[in-house]
Amino acid sequence: MTSLVRMRLTGFLRGGRILAPAIAVLVVLGVIYGGGASPAAIAYGYSAAAVFPVLAWQSKLLLDTEPDTQRRLARVAVGGRREALAGLLAAGVLALLVCALAMGAPWIFNGIDTGQAVVSGTLLGVLAHLLAVPPAVALGALASRAVTRGARNGIAVLVTAAVLVVVLGLQGSVAPWLVPPVMATARALNDVKPPPVATVAVLVVWAVLWCGVAFGAYARLRRTRT
Amino acid sequence: MRFDGVWFRYGRRADWTLREVTRGIEAGQTVVVLGRNGAGKSTLLQLAAGVLRPSRGAVLDRPAIVGWVPERFPADQPFTAGDYLHRMASLRGRAASEADAWMERLLLTEHTGTRLPDLSKGTAQKVGLAQALIARPGLLILDEPWEGLDSVARTLIPEIVAEVTAAGGMVLVSDHRGEVAGLADATHWQVSDALVSEASAPAATALDEVIIEVKVRRAESPRVVAQLEAEGHQILEVRGVAAAQPQQGRSGPGLTIAPGGFSAREAGGGS
Repeated sequence: MTSLVRMRLTGFLRGGRILAPAIAVLVVLGVIYGGGASPAAIAYGYSAAAVFPVLAWQSKLLLDTEPDTQRRLARVAVGGRREALAGLLAAGVLALLVCALAMGAPWIFNGIDTGQAVVSGTLLGVLAHLLAVPPAVALGALASRAVTRGARNGIAVLVTAAVLVVVLGLQGSVAPWLVPPVMATARALNDVKPPPVATVAVLVVWAVLWCGVAFGAYARLRRTRT
Repeated sequence: MRFDGVWFRYGRRADWTLREVTRGIEAGQTVVVLGRNGAGKSTLLQLAAGVLRPSRGAVLDRPAIVGWVPERFPADQPFTAGDYLHRMASLRGRAASEADAWMERLLLTEHTGTRLPDLSKGTAQKVGLAQALIARPGLLILDEPWEGLDSVARTLIPEIVAEVTAAGGMVLVSDHRGEVAGLADATHWQVSDALVSEASAPAATALDEVIIEVKVRRAESPRVVAQLEAEGHQILEVRGVAAAQPQQGRSGPGLTIAPGGFSAREAGGGS
């Protein structure tokens, strides 16, 4: 399966389709850190929320790079489950690399206020990004061509879900649990003082449950949508 | 391997592409799937390969290793032919040398460094064939394998099919142009109206025959026609050479013959 993950990453990177999401990430980082240094937790909380839609988009792009027939050849070669899993892993690896870039870049441009709670803030930032990656990959996968079967449907799923993540994630939302806790994490980190452990635990469990449902739906859909 | 009451359609509201398919393939057997374009041959093959999942019913006892050669190789990928086949070998847990061996056998070695999108249709098709064979499949599925292949590669296909079946494998081949003459001892399935039925091998006519155009003197033509018909050949046409090819300015009927038993037909030999 590692061969298939590598093949898909190579195909995506060589095809040059990474360029558009990479530029989007740079724009997002420019907006977040352009105004000066902020405490690590606050900056990274916003960063995780802001890169979430880009991570979902690039996951969809990666999964859509391979021609449909090649995806089916891979399915014949390694089996349906492993073919689907390899796609998710490839998207996850790429999303982690982008998160590492998003977290590392502000240090070069003095975007992080080194005066207060740097270590705890950075660790919370890592957590915030780790909580954003799996839901973003799941959303990208659910919007991928294998599932939605057409470019228009795929974009509709991706855009609608990305907007809902923000709208339903706002404070006082009627159904915040319908979307992954991306906005909730940014809010919890919006203070120099670390959030209570209970809050962090709720965010982690929420993200895990949401991802469980989303990946479950993807696995189910991919049984018939090859 | 068995198709056990397999029904398939491409969407909930779509018509059934295949209905109630219950057929089996034995180890060492070659099955040729016949049918017109759009009859459902590729769908049947993809169900056998496990690329598609039956809407109802099941495909049972599929061999562990399946090689599928799609009708059109997906050449729009940023790999060279060699790199691609090495990667496909790696997916199957096979050594790169096994991919190299197939490249050599399918005369692909000179294209090792060519990017897949730059390959000609036939060469890309051979890459598709190679990726299916690397893992020594227990079930080989060939979807219109002759499309775009040169004559050398065409002769290789019956050879490869024979090797797979000799090793106890099964082969499923679709064919809509009647090129299956080279596959010995094949069973034939006919796909039509969403049903799959056992078919007799397509009649040898059209498959093994050639058309010869012969020019004879007009006076001798009745005797030649009679003689050829007596020998079992089929006269397709008798025409005047001058009428058909006025630039030559010579008269005399031309005969078109093929084995069979039709009678001669005057087609304008009066000038």
